[in-house]
Amino acid sequence: MTATESTTAEAVVALSDVRKTYELGGTVTALDDVSLSLAEGSYTAVMGPSGSGKSTLLNLIGGLDTPDDGNVRVGGQNLGAASEQERATVRGTEIGFVFQTFNLMPRLTAVENVALPLVFDGWDRTERLDRAREVLDRVGLGDRYDHEPAQLSGGQRQRVAIARALAPDPSILLADEPTGNVDTDTGAGIMELLAEINNAGNSILLVSHSRRIAEHAERIVHIRDGLIEEIETVTPEVA
Amino acid sequence: MDPRETLRIAGRSIRAHRLRSTLTVIGIVIGIASVVVFASFGASVEASVIDDIGGTDANNVYLLPASTDDEGPAGGPGLGQPVFTQHDIEQLREVKGVETVLPRGIVQLSAVEHDGQTVAQRQATATTPATFDNDSVVAGRGFRQGAAELVINERAAAAFPGNLSVGDEVTLQLASGDRETLTVVGIVSGTRGGFLSSFGDVQSRYYLPTEPYYRTTTESPTLGVDQKAYPQVTVTTAPTAVQSARAEIEAYAAESDATRLLPAGFEVVVQTSGDVVEEIQDVIDRITRFVTGIAVIALVVGAIGIANITLVSVTERTKEIGIMKAVGATNRDTMQLFLTEAVLLGGIGAVVGVPLGLLVGFGAAVYAEVSFTLPINWIVFSVAMGVTTGVVAGLYPAWRASKVDPIEALRYE
Repeated sequence: MTATESTTAEAVVALSDVRKTYELGGTVTALDDVSLSLAEGSYTAVMGPSGSGKSTLLNLIGGLDTPDDGNVRVGGQNLGAASEQERATVRGTEIGFVFQTFNLMPRLTAVENVALPLVFDGWDRTERLDRAREVLDRVGLGDRYDHEPAQLSGGQRQRVAIARALAPDPSILLADEPTGNVDTDTGAGIMELLAEINNAGNSILLVSHSRRIAEHAERIVHIRDGLIEEIETVTPEVA
Repeated sequence: MDPRETLRIAGRSIRAHRLRSTLTVIGIVIGIASVVVFASFGASVEASVIDDIGGTDANNVYLLPASTDDEGPAGGPGLGQPVFTQHDIEQLREVKGVETVLPRGIVQLSAVEHDGQTVAQRQATATTPATFDNDSVVAGRGFRQGAAELVINERAAAAFPGNLSVGDEVTLQLASGDRETLTVVGIVSGTRGGFLSSFGDVQSRYYLPTEPYYRTTTESPTLGVDQKAYPQVTVTTAPTAVQSARAEIEAYAAESDATRLLPAGFEVVVQTSGDVVEEIQDVIDRITRFVTGIAVIALVVGAIGIANITLVSVTERTKEIGIMKAVGATNRDTMQLFLTEAVLLGGIGAVVGVPLGLLVGFGAAVYAEVSFTLPINWIVFSVAMGVTTGVVAGLYPAWRASKVDPIEALRYE
C-alpha cells in the first residue's frame, strides 16, 4: 500500500515525486522522489534517524524550503511554484509550526505570541487578541495570558506554541519533536493535547525519533536516506 | 502588516535595550543639535546684519560709476568724477515711482574752524534738503537750499571740544582757499541715500546745500551747456516700485550724460540696497552652509551608530526573525520592522536634538548679541535628516534581516 492510494478523505498535504538535494562538499540527496499524501483530519508521524531527510520533508511541507523537483501541495497551493511572499502567506495561514525548542518571542506575552501569525495575516488588533485568548483557553492556559515566556514552565511554553500554531486555524499542524525539551510527564500532557486537537478535526504531522511518541499517531512513515522505507499503520493500544 | 503593530514591536525592542538605544540616540542628538545650532546661529547673524545694513535704505537706488571689467575694486579715475549732470537729475525725477533724486557732490575742504579751534576735514558733502529725513535728525532741522546753513553728523559735532550744537557758527576753509561761514542748523545720525549710511558711520560728515556751495560743472553732452555735475546720485523710490523704477533707471542710465562723460572702461552702475544686502547675505549663507556642513559630519557619525546597532540587533535576533518568518512574516514585514526601529531611533534623535540645538543656538545668539531667528527650513531639514538617517542607516541591516533564511535562523541559538 502506498500513501497516495490510501487517501479517502481530501488530502491537505500532497507531495509527488519530490526531490531535494544540498551541496555540502558533494551533492547530498535529502529527499529522493518522495510521494506522500496526508488526509484531512489525519495524524501522521515521521520517524527516521538523523540525516534521513525528515527535517527536509518538514521544511518543504512547511513552506520554508522549495523542492528541486516535484510538487508540494498544501491546502490547495503548489508551494514549488510559489513566490517567497506566497510561501510566507501559506506559512502564516495554512501551517502551524510546533518546535522542539518552542521558539516563542521572548519579549511578547503569551497572548501576543499566539496572536503573532494573525498580525502578519492582517487581522484587526481586538479580533486577533480575542482569538489568541480563545486558543489559549483551549490549551489550558486561560490564566497565563499576560505572562512572558520566561515566566512560564517548559510545558506551558509548548502549550503557548501549540496555541500559536492553532491560532490561524491552519490546514495542518507540523510538530517537530514537540516533547524533546520537556520531561516525560509534561511530554505526556503535550501528546494528550495533540491527540485532543486531532480528535477535534485538525490534521497533524509529527516528527520524532522516539517510537513511543510516534505511536500516538494513526500511522508512522519511516524514512531513511531520503526515501520512504515503510508506512506503518498503528494499531490502537487496548489498555 | 499593521503599521501600529510594527511601531509597537519596534518600540518594544528599543526599550528592551535601554542603554544602548540611549547611546545610539545620543549620537543622533549630537549630530542634529549641531546642525540646528550652526544653522540657527548663522540665520540669526545673517538676519541681524541685514537688519543693520538694510533697514530704511531698502527703497534706495544708487547710481555710481564703476569699472566695466570685474578685476579690482570699483575705483580708479572713473569713481568720484562728476558725471551726473543736472540734466540727468531732472530726467531721473521723471521716472515713474521715483520720490526724490539726491545728488551728492564733494566740496574739498582743508579745515573747519569754530570758536578759535581748528579741526582738519578733507571734504564736505553737497546735497539737497531732501537728504534729511525726520528719523535721522537728532537736533535742529535740515538746511535750506541757498542758505548759509550746515548740517553735521554726531561724530562731527563731537570733534570739537565742548561739542558743536545747533546755532553755532562754523567757518569752512575750502581747498580753493576761500572761507565760508555757516550756521549749524541740524545734527543728524545719518542721511537718506547715504551709501549704506547707517552701517558704522564713524567719519565726521558735513552737509552743505548745493546752492550756493557746490560749483563743479561739466558740459552736458545732451544739452551742450555747462551744468552742475555730481559724482554720485541716489534715487529714493516708493517702497513698492523699487524694481520697476530700477529697470527704468537702468534704461535711462545707458543714454545718460554720465555714461557719455565717463572714460572708456567705465559705466554707470545701478544698484539697490537689496543688491548689497544680497551679496552680504550670500557670504553669510556660504559660511553658514560650510559650518553646518561640518556639523553634518556629526550626523553621519550618528548614522553609523544607528547602522551598527541595527546590525547587532539583526544578528542578535536572528532566531526571532526565523520565528516571525515561520508564522507568516514576509521579507517585507521583516524589513519593515527593522527599518522602523532604525527610523524610530533617528526620529527620537531629531525630536530631542532639534530643541536642544535651538536652545544652544539661542544661547549663542544672546551671547553674540544678535536677535535670535528661528530657521524653520533648517528645523524641517534636521527632522527630515534624522528620519532619513534612520532610513539610510537601517536600510542595509533591515535588508540583511529580510534575507535571513528561516531554516538557518530557527536552528540559531
